[in-house]
Amino acid sequence: MQSPTFAAITSVLVEGFHVDAAVVSPAAALDQLGLDSLALMEFVFAVEDRFDVRIPEERLDPRQAGVTLAQLATLIDDAVAAKARGDVVG
Amino acid sequence: MSSASRSAAPVAVTGSGVVSPIGIGTAAFADAVFAGRSAVRAQTVDLIGLDVPLVPVAAADFDAPAVQSPSRIPLDRATAMALAAADEAARAAGLGDGSVAGERLGIYWGSGMAGASTFETTLKTVYVDHRRMRPTSVVTTMPNAPTAELAVRFRARGAALTYACACASSAVAIGEAMRAIRSGAIDVAVVGGSESLLTPGVVAGWQAMRVLAPIAADATADVAARACRPFARDRVGFALGEAAAAFVLESIGHARARGAAWQWQLAGYASNCDGVHITNPDAEGQVRAMRAALADAGLAAAEIGHVNAHGTATLAGDAAEAMSITEVFGAHAVPVTSTKAIHGHLLGAGGAVELLAAACALVAARLPPTANTELVDPAFAIDLVTGSARPAPQLRHALSSSFAFGGTNAVLVASRAD
Repeated sequence: MQSPTFAAITSVLVEGFHVDAAVVSPAAALDQLGLDSLALMEFVFAVEDRFDVRIPEERLDPRQAGVTLAQLATLIDDAVAAKARGDVVG
Repeated sequence: MSSASRSAAPVAVTGSGVVSPIGIGTAAFADAVFAGRSAVRAQTVDLIGLDVPLVPVAAADFDAPAVQSPSRIPLDRATAMALAAADEAARAAGLGDGSVAGERLGIYWGSGMAGASTFETTLKTVYVDHRRMRPTSVVTTMPNAPTAELAVRFRARGAALTYACACASSAVAIGEAMRAIRSGAIDVAVVGGSESLLTPGVVAGWQAMRVLAPIAADATADVAARACRPFARDRVGFALGEAAAAFVLESIGHARARGAAWQWQLAGYASNCDGVHITNPDAEGQVRAMRAALADAGLAAAEIGHVNAHGTATLAGDAAEAMSITEVFGAHAVPVTSTKAIHGHLLGAGGAVELLAAACALVAARLPPTANTELVDPAFAIDLVTGSARPAPQLRHALSSSFAFGGTNAVLVASRAD
């Protein structure tokens, strides 16, 4: 079962970046999406903008490409929760 | 009879492609051109402080986000159009079968304001929404963004050049590519132009110049569709459009060697500048450009069977052009058309799209009507094709003009290949 967050990430990847839906799975790492570093940066920005949050830099550097999409979804969920609590995040 | 002037070799056009308000794909585009079917409609510009809220625009029914770029980043709309048009041209030409060496393939592309619509969105992000910039803001806005994406798409490793000469941009790009092929610098080029500026800020800028045809608040769709009337006595300005058109140019020798087929070719090109005024056209500069293009093609004026005019439907623009056409060809001596009535002013893409219209006429031996114009300005001694398409069984050579802000004039001469 997919979380709404993962579903949104999937839609950004497939519709915005033309990544094959078959490649998009929770276990897929950023460096397995066929995107170069600039496109990966743009992708992470697009996901953050979709949820109106920013993942703190110490938690995700998109250039560290071993991060999986499941981990990205968790980071987004954490940022959304922190924002709801009123924590000072980007 | 050819003129005594020294001319250079023609260049084969082995493929074409187009994304335009009147059709996507060369066949659909040709149908609309010959039918004189207008895509112009009234658009509300929702900007505070704008004097006139309704402007005539011609938008393409085009799904830009569906275009996958070689770089995989989301594209400026104009760049997406460029890729779609060039893909069609390349398919038609049979590029991609390995028969063209990358270092012998160039990209020559024109655009007036290139990534302006992305730039406008970017400015809104920073100044209105107070949000951060996207990492790709620079590479989607830069004027050579379409050129760069095309070069990667086609693995072109010859020259990849971008021309910005306002409304002559793509005509200049095509002509300069022709020269590069003639010189032997490259064998093949993907050429053309793209423009997509139907964003509120840019539209408001054009409206502020008072060159757009005014549209009454209660105008019907039919009245809006007829807003642009080139060379008419009641002309009042143009509509803004968006488009991309692309061609594959190729030396005759190279095209023959790989077994490519082509129905028409580029025979001549010239560009110059009025050097007089930033907006006012100058008939003298236009006359020199047309004569130089004819000389380059080795043709006499009497051999031209069709002039596809710049024809913007502005008071001053059409008056200067009617004068220059009459000076070069004589009074009522050559059929004249302008397709801007139906697809709007395409700015940097205009030269390429209008060359395609002229080529469709050459291939079909039929001249498209200048839509919307019922009564030609009686001050003009030109044979404007109006009403419906006119058969032209003797048509062999056509001339397509682009006369730009900044004074740049670019004229292309196209000929049937048979």
